[in-house]
Amino acid sequence: MRVPHRWRRLRRATACALVAVAAVVMSGCDAAQGGIATQEGIPKEIRLLGVRDQTGPVAYAGIGGARGGKLAISEINRSGFLGEGVKLTIEEIDTAGSIETASAEMAQATADRTVHAIMGPTQGQQAATVAPMVERAQVPTIFTQAGSDGVVINDYTFRATAPMASYYHLATEYLAEKRLRDVSVLYNATYPTFAEIGEGSFPKQADRHGLNIVSSTPVQSTTQDFTTPVRSIAGEDPDAVVMLLTEPQSVTALTQLRQAGYDGQVMGTSVQGGGNLTEAGKHGEGVIYPTDFSPALTSEKARDFVAAFRERFGRKPDVYAAEGYDGMWWLARAIKESGSASREGIKRGLQQVAKDGFEGVMGELTFEGNDMRVPGVLVRWNGTSEELVSDGGAS
Amino acid sequence: MAQHILNAVALGSVYLVFALGMALAWSTIGILNFAHGATFMFSAFTAHVVTQHVAMPMPAVVLVAVAAGALIATLTQVLAFGPIMRKATDHRSAELRILIGGIGVAAIPLAIAERVTASAPFGFRGSTYQAQVFEVLGLRMTTTVLVIVVAGIGIGVGVWRWLATSRQGLALRAIGVDSETASLMGVDRSTLALGTMATSGALAGLAGALLTFQLGAISPASGDQLLIKAFAIVVLGGLGSMGGVIVGAFVLAGAETFVLAMNQGTWVDAVSFGLIFVVLLLRPQGLFGRKEVRRT
Repeated sequence: MRVPHRWRRLRRATACALVAVAAVVMSGCDAAQGGIATQEGIPKEIRLLGVRDQTGPVAYAGIGGARGGKLAISEINRSGFLGEGVKLTIEEIDTAGSIETASAEMAQATADRTVHAIMGPTQGQQAATVAPMVERAQVPTIFTQAGSDGVVINDYTFRATAPMASYYHLATEYLAEKRLRDVSVLYNATYPTFAEIGEGSFPKQADRHGLNIVSSTPVQSTTQDFTTPVRSIAGEDPDAVVMLLTEPQSVTALTQLRQAGYDGQVMGTSVQGGGNLTEAGKHGEGVIYPTDFSPALTSEKARDFVAAFRERFGRKPDVYAAEGYDGMWWLARAIKESGSASREGIKRGLQQVAKDGFEGVMGELTFEGNDMRVPGVLVRWNGTSEELVSDGGAS
Repeated sequence: MAQHILNAVALGSVYLVFALGMALAWSTIGILNFAHGATFMFSAFTAHVVTQHVAMPMPAVVLVAVAAGALIATLTQVLAFGPIMRKATDHRSAELRILIGGIGVAAIPLAIAERVTASAPFGFRGSTYQAQVFEVLGLRMTTTVLVIVVAGIGIGVGVWRWLATSRQGLALRAIGVDSETASLMGVDRSTLALGTMATSGALAGLAGALLTFQLGAISPASGDQLLIKAFAIVVLGGLGSMGGVIVGAFVLAGAETFVLAMNQGTWVDAVSFGLIFVVLLLRPQGLFGRKEVRRT
């Protein structure tokens, strides 16, 4: 028998309504299983969201952070660190290098009552945009990287990456110790972290250690060719060149600096870590830089981390992975400390752990408020991997 | 001073090779291709992937990048711009849709390169080519710079003269003035458009390979930065004038080099683009453009 058209439509509408109701019920069940994130105590499932770049210009930071976090979660769950059968889970959401996407995804994440905590965007501008949102929704959020001002601004925002300026003194001390007194600075003045070191902290440290800044050359983030500035620097023939540039800029500046005839010491930044100097080939050999983590660290924790990371991902961990890993352990310790995985409990716990500090793969971690500090480590790139120059207490 | 001039010439040559491809398509077949930067980047990326598996000399790497660029641009024309132009009701709406279409097309190679490299810089480390440094009359330069300057000026002048004197060049210029009348005069617009896009892509690939050799490495975002500069060069030189593109490229590179040489690196974009702005205030049609905007 042929069903009349209007009845077919009614049936279809009823089916759609049933599916919608079922979805709501299912999500309610999910919430009950995962636990409403405002309830005190530790549920069997603690749901986290990673809202960070998995694609886009700084995808390497988000991918590294996510990998480090995943490794930490598997160790936390396997060891029963939070109690028998308690599982941390994380879902990664790609912000694709966009502030608008980060903002929209964070709005959804903070509104989701099953989310206990968030691992926030790695890009400074994204992080600074979502930080006020985090406070309004009162969801504890741990950022990695995101070195800008305006990120750690309230009780719910935390950062598991030490500002580069806080351990750049290792570089200055090395230059002073090796009597590399005449120094030229080449820096990206439109990148806040590098501008702060190039114009602020490094000149002060250099003055304190008796170093002479021969020249200070600012460039922009859009500068691609360094032939002109490096020729001037090579002409000055300083004992060392402090290079504060982004990844592709570093490769170019190094290559052109060597081609311009400069064969002195080049001091870089942690941006050169993670094999980013590989493309510079022989021109990158011998570059020294301070970083918050290196696979060359010799502490037991660092060695175990490197081995476990290699086994799981088939490559050495970079600084982003180490920050993601220590950030996740900070979170796990916080839940254990407060005895609660509620948003308020996690916030309390994170603050308490920050007060006490703990040992991570980056060394003895201390905190200034909600902001992490690391001892730092000085490494040399030998063309294929990092070698330890001084560990700054990280090992 | 002479060293700075040489640096400016080298930088201008890279800008020129890149901008020529864009100017060629824009000033003849009316396609302002916003995927030109992505074509440049993805051609170099393709050559990078190939050199990871096969050690190749510089000419072979350049050839791979040129072929990749030509292929990408041809596909862009066949799959995106061609259908857009056929469906557009008038030239104005076609231009706007092509502009948006170009942005959409550019997102695809960019996403692929970013995914594969995790946005880390990439170069031609697998190539057997090693730049040699030498000095002539006290000027220090590399073999890469020499190749770039010769290629840039040679191709720039070659394209300019070819457009001015050859039959195909005349046909292309005719399309630029009035495509309908040109068709009535027996000019095969579709075939010429395809050939122009392939040449434009090949030039993007050449620029991609040469710039990557010159810089050591580029990143997936490098094409976008060059795209803005190429746009400025074409407008500065005057739309429709290949000679203007040549001059525009060296004016922009000269301004940038001058500001860098003055150790005012943070003012590079402001001064360079400010200079272009001033020129356009005085000569809205660009340095060598005609008063009446015509694509010739």
